[in-house]
Amino acid sequence: MRRLIVLVVCLAMLLGLAATTGSAAAAKTKLVWQVHWSDFQVEGVYSGEGANRKLVSKGLRQYVEEYMKLHPDVEIEIQSVPMEEYLQKVLVARSSGVAPDLYGVYSLWGVQLTQNGILDTPPDAVVKDVRGNYTPVSVAGTTIGGKIWGIPMEVGNYCLVYNKELLKAKGFNAPPKTWSELVDMASKLTVRDKSGVITQYGFAFLAGWESAVVHPYLGLLWDLGGDFLSPDFRKCVVNSPEGVQALEAELQLFKTGGTDPAGSVWSFPQGKVAMMIMASWYEQSLKQGLGDKYDKVVGVAPVPYIKKPVNAGYTWFLAVDSASKNKKAAWDFLMWFSADVQKPKSTTRLGDLMVETIGGLPCREIDLANHPDTLNDLYTRTFVEQLKNSRPEPNVAQGAEVKTILANEIVEAWHGRKSAKQALDDAAIKINEILSEFY
Amino acid sequence: MSPGAISARRSLLKRTLTGYLFLSPALVFYLVFLVIPIGMSLYISFRDWNMLVPLANSRFVGLRNYIYLLTRDELFLIAVKNTIIYATGTVFAGMALALGVAMLLLKVRGATFWRFVMFAPVVTPSVAVARIWGGLYRPAEGLANAMLKMVHLPPQQWLADPDICLYSIMLIAVWSGIGATVIVFTAGLKGIPDVYYDAAKLDGAGPWAEFAHITVPMLKPTILFLSVTGLIGAWQAFDLIFMLAVGGTESGTSPVRSVIVLALYLYQMAFKNLRMGRACAGAFLLFLIVLAFSFIVLRVLRKGGVESYE
Repeated sequence: MRRLIVLVVCLAMLLGLAATTGSAAAAKTKLVWQVHWSDFQVEGVYSGEGANRKLVSKGLRQYVEEYMKLHPDVEIEIQSVPMEEYLQKVLVARSSGVAPDLYGVYSLWGVQLTQNGILDTPPDAVVKDVRGNYTPVSVAGTTIGGKIWGIPMEVGNYCLVYNKELLKAKGFNAPPKTWSELVDMASKLTVRDKSGVITQYGFAFLAGWESAVVHPYLGLLWDLGGDFLSPDFRKCVVNSPEGVQALEAELQLFKTGGTDPAGSVWSFPQGKVAMMIMASWYEQSLKQGLGDKYDKVVGVAPVPYIKKPVNAGYTWFLAVDSASKNKKAAWDFLMWFSADVQKPKSTTRLGDLMVETIGGLPCREIDLANHPDTLNDLYTRTFVEQLKNSRPEPNVAQGAEVKTILANEIVEAWHGRKSAKQALDDAAIKINEILSEFY
Repeated sequence: MSPGAISARRSLLKRTLTGYLFLSPALVFYLVFLVIPIGMSLYISFRDWNMLVPLANSRFVGLRNYIYLLTRDELFLIAVKNTIIYATGTVFAGMALALGVAMLLLKVRGATFWRFVMFAPVVTPSVAVARIWGGLYRPAEGLANAMLKMVHLPPQQWLADPDICLYSIMLIAVWSGIGATVIVFTAGLKGIPDVYYDAAKLDGAGPWAEFAHITVPMLKPTILFLSVTGLIGAWQAFDLIFMLAVGGTESGTSPVRSVIVLALYLYQMAFKNLRMGRACAGAFLLFLIVLAFSFIVLRVLRKGGVESYE
């Protein structure tokens, strides 16, 4: 009997404790943040093992914990999903009524998310802060229908990455500045075996997903003064003379033997690619692939141009779900994370995370200016400099579908299955059909 | 009705209900995981739904999704063509090869070891298979071109040439699936009584006549089984093509039009283009294609095939 009483008392205490904890938890404002970052970007970078384990650079979790310490009434949960599944997860979560509160949105998805009422309208203070403190390319990327929909998080652009040793071996002391120099150098840097198979590519195109194919092409198109879509998004004008000339400029590399469709940029670390147009996020992979040879091998220059230097840019921005029950808390947290300037560096937490751990280009001007050690390095410096020549891809409805169509047609031309004109005419017809549904 | 008849009826009803009660877990399972999803897909195929708004708010478009796919979407028709080539090619070429190997293995020593070797790719994850073959297919340093060089044939761009890319991937699919087919054929071959071959030999039949008039007819049930199950699987091909030719390939730029198959098309339509209505319509057209091909196979192999199962 005594044992039974003790058991009942213990159970009652446990229940009481659980109820207290439950009510305390219920009193907290909970925010769920869905991110597309990998483990080390979320958890931070550590060195050493066991007791010697030390945090080298903070991940998102450390910043979130800092905020929760400062605001004990707020609890933030991080949900990490792979980038390629990000949009699907948003859709599924929304359909099942358990949508996250905070998102990192690729600007191209933004149009559909805003048109369908998924994203919350940012408070005036956020809009004012974005307009006043961020790089023009990232502000443009976050603008949909003339309205800012979030806080720019990461900006990406493209540069020419070249193998200094391979160029030097062929007598080139500097990278190409113009597109015709690129075409000329690429054919001279290409090496074939006896059977005609390329063993060293003078130039390799980035490929494998839509942005990889389309972004460098858009850069050339804009360089020539052409455009992809009309300003009101009612018409695809990619098959203009400038558009055809831009694609023919790419095809020159195939015709003069500077590349072929089997060329892969991922062979660059093995010394099998002399030049490629690459994005800003490839630095860490190059460092890992090249090891000690990294400094000797890697050179970065602006993308060679035909008339004027332009390169395509893209933006990720932080946004809040319109169905969130804690929208104010979500925006407050995002402002603390992205706009609260820290001493002595005069940088933001988002900027620090982006530069020191994620390896991306920050969007806020002070973050670009006040991370000299990292952003002035061999690889990133040129990308930062070229932000002034970066133009954001258009935030158009069905952006992913439109881009896939253009990418598929460009690849058809690369393979010699269609002329540049035919490929772009076919792309324009299909894209116009999609645009007519939405504009 | 007499009391006896009423009692007998009650007893029958009770037994029927009891039967259904025992079946109910399976019925509920099929209802929840098969019938309802299929019904929902059919419903969605008549709507314009992007998954960003509740389904109830989506627009009813009638047969427009089906008409669009069949008359205006060039890529869908290319995907249908590629899928038919991929499915029939991998299944029938794979079966022909597997039958030859199975017959050979009945006559060699260490057959168990060779069957194990042949079965290994079946249990290898397709990601690993794609990585290995991606390396073998590299134009400059891959083994495939090295072998062509040895026999003085020109090198190929296995995954970057639009004319051969699909066939290169089909070769991998045949390689990775042959082990399972060999095992089934071996069982089928062992089930053919020797008396038929003995009688044929007495009648003066040669090896080809034995194969054509005894082996193949007697294997019809096995061929039917492998054809139907193989085709159903092959229509849904996705992983190898996605990894080798679409999703960030390491072997250059594969021409999407030359390799796109229906499952890949449906994935892109649903989750990249956010056109779930069109994707569901495409899925139902795929279902009709699978059904039609299954009927054709059943019809062709009916004699000695379906009847053998009855």
